[in-house]
Amino acid sequence: MYRLVTVLMVLLVGNVFAHGHPGHPNLGEEASSIKASGKIFHTDGLSVIRMMHPEFLNHKRDKTLREGVRTKEGSLKGCVNCHANKDKKTNQYYSVNDKDQFCSTCHQKVSVSVDCFSCHRTTPRKGTK
Amino acid sequence: MSKTLNRRDFIKTSSATAVGVATIASGITLTTFAANANENPVTNAKRWGMLIDTNKLTEVEIDGMVSACQQENGWGGEVHSTGDQKPTWVKKLKVKDKATGRITSLPLMCQHCEEPPCVDVCPTNASMKREDGIVLVDKHLCIGCRYCMMACPYDARSFVHEDLTDQREHMPRGKGTVESCTLCVHRVDKGETPACAASVNSDAVIFGDLYDATSKINQTLKKVQSTQIRADLNLNTGVRYSGI
Ligand code: HEC
Ligand code: HEC
Ligand code: HEC
Repeated sequence: MYRLVTVLMVLLVGNVFAHGHPGHPNLGEEASSIKASGKIFHTDGLSVIRMMHPEFLNHKRDKTLREGVRTKEGSLKGCVNCHANKDKKTNQYYSVNDKDQFCSTCHQKVSVSVDCFSCHRTTPRKGTK
Repeated sequence: MSKTLNRRDFIKTSSATAVGVATIASGITLTTFAANANENPVTNAKRWGMLIDTNKLTEVEIDGMVSACQQENGWGGEVHSTGDQKPTWVKKLKVKDKATGRITSLPLMCQHCEEPPCVDVCPTNASMKREDGIVLVDKHLCIGCRYCMMACPYDARSFVHEDLTDQREHMPRGKGTVESCTLCVHRVDKGETPACAASVNSDAVIFGDLYDATSKINQTLKKVQSTQIRADLNLNTGVRYSGI
């Protein structure tokens, strides 16, 4: 019985880590400070953005390219700018899609590979150059 | 869920107020509003165009336009592509009058046709024309077949032959897709002018809405003689030239 409970506990804890609770290990510079400040960015809840982000991105993509709608919601630039991590030593940003970075952690687990970053910048903007 | 709705409603109401203000106030407020109006899809009430006066434009300015485009959009640093493979969104072209030998230089880029052949031939709908006349490649749909490059009478499109990194935030580019002048759509949507036009300090290059009777481009086109390159093809280009 105790063994079963332990197994369950382990499973539960594992699950928690898989979902990045209480914190996603690699949330990113800006996202981490937003979270620390207690503000909420994804107002529909985390399960919605976790599950629905491919749809949001595709929707936004068509809106921007085909109709010129350039609001912030669902913008891939936005995800990158907010979710990129910095190397504390060199003060350089990691690419969001590098191994174990924000846009890779879950994808590695579920074996999804996204091709977005062959074109889209993987670190926050540096102005025009 | 209801939160989102509320927020959307809020945005709707606030933009409606902005329209109200704009109609009462001067034209300046109106343009400011238009610049922020990216929440609304573009419409065919506008048609963006450019008028290039080759008599006024110096060679140095044309080179300046090319480098302004490279700087803005991040092309031209490709190291593994050779010769014709190198992306060229805009180039300096010399035209020679055979009779007199007079040489004119002009910048040539996507002419943003009303009837774009590239759009006609595209098998995936990646080549597209926005409602406001800007012709683009939707790279998300581009399979790199390059039919559009063959179809374009202006040789205005390029194919990316190599892996790229550190692209401009507003201009994602990548191997295996076709690209060309976007009329700096990311700037135009903010109410700015294309980088090439902005780099020229005279009125040798005028950017604006061809349909708007109060716009400088519309008024100038009514006054001066101008031409479309390969006008015989009846593509009704958005980029016009005078002085050639
Ligand atoms: C072949 C190049 C290419 C690839 C690959 C690509 N994109 Fe894009 N994407 C573009 C271009 C070009 C734009 C237009 C940028 C503009 O007009 O501002 C764009 C714009 C967008 C936009 C709207 C602008 C923004 O940042 O919000 C979104 C969203 C987007 N892409 C999502 C994606 C996603 C998701 C993927 C991967 C599944 C992807 N893209 C892959 C080239 C690419
Ligand atoms: C302005 C900052 C900001 C932007 C822009 C942003 N996010 Fe977030 N995101 C956050 C914050 C803050 C959290 C952490 C919320 C928490 O843990 O309470 C978060 C959490 C997430 C999570 C859940 C992580 C987990 O714990 O499992 C996902 C997935 C996510 N974001 C995806 C995206 C995507 C995709 C985009 C672009 C469409 C995006 N985010 C844009 C700030 C942002
Ligand atoms: C909380 C885990 C998690 C995080 C963090 C996350 N993703 Fe995802 N992502 C997924 C899962 C799971 C799928 C597969 C969803 C499916 O197939 O329905 C996916 C799929 C995608 C897809 C669609 C891929 C395809 O081929 O259909 C895109 C695009 C994408 N993610 C972009 C991003 C970006 C950009 C980020 C970083 C801002 C990000 N994701 C961060 C879990 C995550």
